[in-house]
Amino acid sequence: MTTTVGAAPTAMDEKARRTRDLLASFYNTDPAAAGAVAASPARPSPTAATASPLESINSTSFNPDVYMDVLVQQSNLEALLQRHVKMAAEIKNLDTDLQMLVYENYNKFISATDTIKRMKTNIAGMETNMEQLLSKITSVQSRSDTVNTSLFNKRENIEKLHRTRNLLRKVQFIYDLPTRLNKCIKAGAYADAVRFFTGAKPIFEAYGDTSFQDCKKASEEAMDLVIQQLQAKLYTDSEPIEARAEAVVLLKQLNFPIENGCIVHLCLFDIVGSADLKIGSGCDLFGAQVDNLKSNLLEKLEDCLLNLQTEPMQASVGDISKTFRAYLIIFPDSESRLIELAHALFTNRYETVRGALKERIPSTDLLAMLRGLWEDATAIDEVISEAALPAFSLETTRDIIKQHIATAFLHLQTEISDVLVTHSTSNEKLEESQLQTAMEKSKIKVSQGCIDLLQEFRHLIDGNTELLVKLKDLIIDWVQEGFQDFFQKLDGHFHLLSGRSTGFSQESSTVDFVQIDKVPTVLVLMLAQLCVFIEQTTIPKVTEDLADSFSGGGARSSEYGPPFVPGEICRLYRSSGEKFLQHYVNIKTQKISKLLNKRFSTPVWLKFAHVCVLYIQPKQHKEPREVNMFVDLLLLEFNGVVSEVKQILPGLIRRHRHSDSTGSTTSSRSNPMREDMLNRSNTNRSRSQFLENHLAKLFEQKMEIFTKLEYTQESVISTVLKLCLKSLQEFVRLQTFNRSGFQQIQLDMEFLKSSLKEFIDDEAAISFLLKEVNNAAHERCLDPIPLEAPILDKLINAKLAKIKEQSANM
Amino acid sequence: MQGGSSGIVYGGLKYQARCITDVRADAGSTTFLAGTLSLKEENEVHLIRLLPGENELVCDGLFYHPNEIWDLKSCPFDHRLFSTVYTSGEGYGASVWKIPELYGQSNSPQLEQLFTLDDHTDKIRCVLWWPLGKHDKLISIDDRNIFLWNIDPSNKSAKVISQGSADMLPNLRGGAWDPHNHNAVATITDSSLHFWDLRSMKRSNAIEHAHIQDVDYNPKKQNIIATAEDEFGIRLWDLRMLKHPLKDLPGHSHWTWAVRHNPEYDELILSAGTDSAVNLWLAKVGTDDSGPESPSGSPTRQEEPLLHSYTDYEDSIYGIAWSSHDPSLFASLSYDGRVVLESVKPHLQRK
Repeated sequence: MTTTVGAAPTAMDEKARRTRDLLASFYNTDPAAAGAVAASPARPSPTAATASPLESINSTSFNPDVYMDVLVQQSNLEALLQRHVKMAAEIKNLDTDLQMLVYENYNKFISATDTIKRMKTNIAGMETNMEQLLSKITSVQSRSDTVNTSLFNKRENIEKLHRTRNLLRKVQFIYDLPTRLNKCIKAGAYADAVRFFTGAKPIFEAYGDTSFQDCKKASEEAMDLVIQQLQAKLYTDSEPIEARAEAVVLLKQLNFPIENGCIVHLCLFDIVGSADLKIGSGCDLFGAQVDNLKSNLLEKLEDCLLNLQTEPMQASVGDISKTFRAYLIIFPDSESRLIELAHALFTNRYETVRGALKERIPSTDLLAMLRGLWEDATAIDEVISEAALPAFSLETTRDIIKQHIATAFLHLQTEISDVLVTHSTSNEKLEESQLQTAMEKSKIKVSQGCIDLLQEFRHLIDGNTELLVKLKDLIIDWVQEGFQDFFQKLDGHFHLLSGRSTGFSQESSTVDFVQIDKVPTVLVLMLAQLCVFIEQTTIPKVTEDLADSFSGGGARSSEYGPPFVPGEICRLYRSSGEKFLQHYVNIKTQKISKLLNKRFSTPVWLKFAHVCVLYIQPKQHKEPREVNMFVDLLLLEFNGVVSEVKQILPGLIRRHRHSDSTGSTTSSRSNPMREDMLNRSNTNRSRSQFLENHLAKLFEQKMEIFTKLEYTQESVISTVLKLCLKSLQEFVRLQTFNRSGFQQIQLDMEFLKSSLKEFIDDEAAISFLLKEVNNAAHERCLDPIPLEAPILDKLINAKLAKIKEQSANM
Repeated sequence: MQGGSSGIVYGGLKYQARCITDVRADAGSTTFLAGTLSLKEENEVHLIRLLPGENELVCDGLFYHPNEIWDLKSCPFDHRLFSTVYTSGEGYGASVWKIPELYGQSNSPQLEQLFTLDDHTDKIRCVLWWPLGKHDKLISIDDRNIFLWNIDPSNKSAKVISQGSADMLPNLRGGAWDPHNHNAVATITDSSLHFWDLRSMKRSNAIEHAHIQDVDYNPKKQNIIATAEDEFGIRLWDLRMLKHPLKDLPGHSHWTWAVRHNPEYDELILSAGTDSAVNLWLAKVGTDDSGPESPSGSPTRQEEPLLHSYTDYEDSIYGIAWSSHDPSLFASLSYDGRVVLESVKPHLQRK
């Protein structure tokens, strides 16, 4: 009613929606709204009324007076005016709604009336039509009845004639029976004869005394003959088992009265006997009851098969399959039992193969075994195909080959670790070149082992047997997967050997934790080198070989990618190698650190033979008399490191340093050079007081100390050296020295400077670090007066002479 | 500011130094205390403050300290108190000091020595305050013993309550007080870490065969502790399962000297080393992610725990301290006496 023409469609929608809402609210279809309406009268207090005035207005118990009172009391004029305007608008709104609803109702009523009128006119013509239809259907029915009665007699006659003809045919058959039986006997088709006779038997029994008498007699004579012949066949050993079994079945069908249990037994005795089995006294148990006999026989057969497994090749599978066949013919319903038996047999035999797997057997042997089993399975499958033996054995073979591959890898891993461990632990005395040979052996073991494995596995896929062709793709995948897994496991094992992994693995228990000190450092170094070898040599070789003979595969879905990822393995080994090398350096540094720590923390140097300078000893300014013995120990450790590293890591060929020529070579070769160094160090000494002004210079040099570790002798040795000297510096910084302490350090460093040249090419870094130690001692000394250069020189020469003397005595 | 470095440098320390500490009790600003280590010169304690809004560290107070400082700890409940451990030649001692009121003049007023902890018969290594707030106890550790003191700063007195002896252990070097438990303290020696119960003054359990340089309790999670070791870098342990660490972090190229949990984000760990570097680590410890770490696991798959390595230092770093006022800041002190304040904010976003 308030709609404008321009906005007609939207207004119409709007209107329809509003109408629907109004109707809904009127009939309370919305449960929430209904609840709200129902709830409000339950608490008619003024507060509730003010809280929800609109709902109260709609409620039945709305009291306009109270509402007005509350409103007037609570609101000011402005609010009241507003409320007035609002309410007026609401009232107008409600009026409009009401009008609209009435109009809608009227509309609907008119359209309903129209519909009813239309229905009335349509129904009027229908009745006459229906009556016509009824009369037509009645006439059709009466015609059909007449046809039926007129044909009835003829049909009965036809049926009678048909029955007579059938009877005549049967009589003819009976009369023909004797001749037919004779024909069968002549042809040797006893089965047919028996079938004919059993078919005619009911008739003979019913009408045997009448005109069929002659016929019956002739037939029975013929059947006697059949029975005789069958019996004869039964007892002839030369007949095939199948034929004899057939005879037994036929006799059984003829209800051949007595002894049939014995006959069956006899027959089966032979059958089972062919499988090299003695049933023995069990035959007495067999009575006339065939069921009993059957179950007994099955048990015996089972025993027989079990025995067969223990002495596998005595009876061939051909015999077994024959037995099965015969048995199946005699007792057709025993198939399920036989299937079980066959399954048991093969499961057992596969178990034996599995047992053999626990030892490491060559692939060819395994293959021969599996092939044999596969052939047997196919043989038996011809007899009982329901047992699905090929599928079964295919599955089992798959498992076995998988297991075989896994075991092979496991063995290789153990062998490698054995080689490593025995070589690195047994030789407590690390003699020259022994380590080197050990290293070489491990390398050869790894690569040769991998190649051997590949060779083995190649046998697996080269076989042309049906079985293996089916499995080829799978085997290829397994081999690739196996290598991936193997290398990963080997890496894990290396970590375990090195003692590093104790931190990670919870399961590797406390045993490893205790052993952490016992892990030989050489082993760690060897592991590092082995990692490099595997990464650079073995993996490319394996990858190549795999690509040669084990490509393809892909039986598993491509989403996992190829099973063997050389890149990943290489990365793994590279990082492990670095870790081991770092670990080696750490262990060595640690050991030397401990040595250094002892030198500073043990004050009682007097205990030791010839060192009598206490570092911290106020008011006693003795000049140091000789190089501290910790320097000897330090050099000894370095020598150890160098000899280990040289044997295992690759590096430039350096002059070999004989332990017995230390003194002589050093003194003879480096005398002038050392003086040069001394001069330099003296100038350094004077300069060192201005240390703090030269920080920038030191900073540049400092960067060289912590360089990246590489797989060379030089890198490892110099890293160990640098770290140790750095540690020495740190230890010195923690002390406070008197003059003699400082001078002792000065002397020690000076001596080290000349000795360490033996080990190291990176002279600049080392001399820088030695200087740093000196500086640190200088800082931590209350009275830093250095030794005079000539005295220093004299002491060092004395030490060198002593070393020379000692080595000469040795 | 120096080229290449993002940190704010304070170069006011004239001598070599090892100790820096956050003034936790100063709630209003980021403040640190640093003490020098000079055998021959007069040593100083610097009160360093970050000017708010400006990227500058200023010296808020410079105090002379009679001896070289080997350990410096700020009192967690009174910003004017701190403790030092010092040596002078053969002598040694530990004191609690009070910073005098500064009336305008910032230069060299005398520190007020409240009391000394002088019952020690061996060389004192460090003094520990209970890390989280007001507590009237103090712990001091020397080579062989651990002392529990009852302190009263207002009366300038300190009394030994109890004493525990390390017996046959090698020398004690330091320790940490469990912020979750008044009665638990961890001490370190050259070759092991021991836990003490202060009620009985007995050792409870230990981590053996570890050359531990520093130890720090996780401020948020009970029973989690971080150690800095020569051999294994940084390790995180659960005190209930001391057989194996929860996590290994590689640490430094040389010794890892100090390790500190961030006071707010306890997964952030800061470590300082003698390789002149400070490393910032992200180490999540939870029961869930300690499991999958297995020796066979490829290391490339693990998340890189090192967030950042600050290497712009010229000498070994012995002192690091997080700011408790702004937990994204930390100060580091290298041996040459340079204090550098860095913000870890750019690396937090990678979490």
